Amino acid sequence: MQVREHHKGYLFILPAFLLLLFILGFPAIAAILQSFNIMWVSQPSFTVKSYISLSRDAEFLASLLNTVAFVACTVGFHLLIGLAVALLLNMEIRNKRFFRVIAILPWTVPDVIGGLIWRFMFDTLPGMVNAVLLKAGFIVDPIDWLGNPKLAFPSLIFAEVWRGYPFAMLILLAGLQAIPKEQYEAAEIDGASKVQGFVYITVPNLKYMFVIALVLDTIWECRLFGMVYSMTGGGPGYSSQVLSLLTYKHYFLFFNISYAAAIAAVLAGFMLLVSIPYLRMTMKREL
Amino acid sequence: MLARKTIFWTLIYLALAVMAIYNLVPFFWMATSSLKTDYEVIDYPATILPRVVTFGAYSRMWIQENFVQYFINSLIVSVSTAAFSSMVGAFAAYGFSRFFFRGRSTLMTIFLASQMIPGVLLVGPYFKMLTYVELYDTLLGLILSQTTITLPFSIWMLKGFVDTVPIEIDQAAMVDGASRTRTFLIVVLPNILPGLVATIIFAFLLSWGDLLWALCLISEQSKQTMTLGITQLVGQFRVQWSEIMAATMITTIVPAALYLMLQNFLVKGFTEGAVKQ
Repeated sequence: MQVREHHKGYLFILPAFLLLLFILGFPAIAAILQSFNIMWVSQPSFTVKSYISLSRDAEFLASLLNTVAFVACTVGFHLLIGLAVALLLNMEIRNKRFFRVIAILPWTVPDVIGGLIWRFMFDTLPGMVNAVLLKAGFIVDPIDWLGNPKLAFPSLIFAEVWRGYPFAMLILLAGLQAIPKEQYEAAEIDGASKVQGFVYITVPNLKYMFVIALVLDTIWECRLFGMVYSMTGGGPGYSSQVLSLLTYKHYFLFFNISYAAAIAAVLAGFMLLVSIPYLRMTMKREL
Repeated sequence: MLARKTIFWTLIYLALAVMAIYNLVPFFWMATSSLKTDYEVIDYPATILPRVVTFGAYSRMWIQENFVQYFINSLIVSVSTAAFSSMVGAFAAYGFSRFFFRGRSTLMTIFLASQMIPGVLLVGPYFKMLTYVELYDTLLGLILSQTTITLPFSIWMLKGFVDTVPIEIDQAAMVDGASRTRTFLIVVLPNILPGLVATIIFAFLLSWGDLLWALCLISEQSKQTMTLGITQLVGQFRVQWSEIMAATMITTIVPAALYLMLQNFLVKGFTEGAVKQ
């Protein structure tokens, strides 16, 4: 049988489609059904009990707030530092390759490993942060960074800012390099200042890359698991707890299957909501 | 005028130096701590450079803690995941790039949105599914589960690369009598080699750094990966920092070295592929 030419596209996509259906679509739907207590739970019967209990669970509400705060802070700093470093690396500097390698290095560290390194850096007695602050004379007594409920969460954010900003930098640098030099030259001939050049040429040209970096980074930070697990474990108490780690805890430590699925569903819903502008923008460009 | 320029460039290089120090300090700390003795590593206040340099932490870790096995497991899982998802992804990318069939944009939106599904939503059902097909606690099960992260991403990145290959190249090959599959494999694929390499590396990095899936789907010690093995080491009653830092060194060196060797491919990959203007 002859397959019509434009139908061959289906055949190329079929393996990926079937694979994703089985390994991603099916378990995602199963998890939603679990959250309503319909499938793969001990006594199946439809109920929204899990969602109702969520709204009364102080740890869940704190984790939800923490997740939003964590994502807002890390993504904000990633874009800020990423843009600054991208602008630096886009200049006519010597040893460009050398600096570019260094600039991307933190991003090559797996997040769980980054969490361990920073956990040791922030350790009260043998940690480097306290040692440096002590030598510089800023503190007299060591600070218990990760044991203090007020400091653990900011420390976690600090670590993830370090690890994650090169990704935003890389995307923004690619965007900067794609801006034609002629635009700046033309602006200069017309008497525009460097600042005007930045505001009227760099910013509009970078907008698309900026949104991509923003959304992709938001997605990564929403699902961040390894670093929280290895650095603070969500503690002390639940002061640095996030939704991804809370889900894991309920699934595999407390075996609250339906409850865990409901938490994960809230996280997934949040992520999908955040990414809608990106989905629409990307699809518009594709068509 | 000259003075102003000098000040400007001094500030620029100063800023670059600050960036370099900020980025490198944790690496420095990890490296020096891994070379300290058990006693010195818990000294207060911490010594910045080791008083006595020893490779004891490395040798103890390799001998006592099964890390050779963990390392091999991590390699098997990451290489398989990266190769598998890039292969399946490349076909899909070509399909999306070259054919305008009905439902194309809907399918593309679904594939794109599948990147947004967090792993924690899937781990519970995966536990059930893999137990059912007897793949729980196997490396194959881990490879399949990690493909859920790498495949959607690979398709999207690779499509960007295929888009940069002029369609005339396909047409020329088909005029010469090549089939679609042959055209894709022999003509288009070599043209996107840098992009393919970048995609494979990125999938490798994602898989190499994963903790969530290994934590939820692997229990037997001989099946553990590097990241899981290290976190188990921390979980024990005393935290042996020199050994842990030696282990994190090894786990970090693989992706970092890979990146340094192929950084031009990867940067080019991001510029031409996933984030093309």
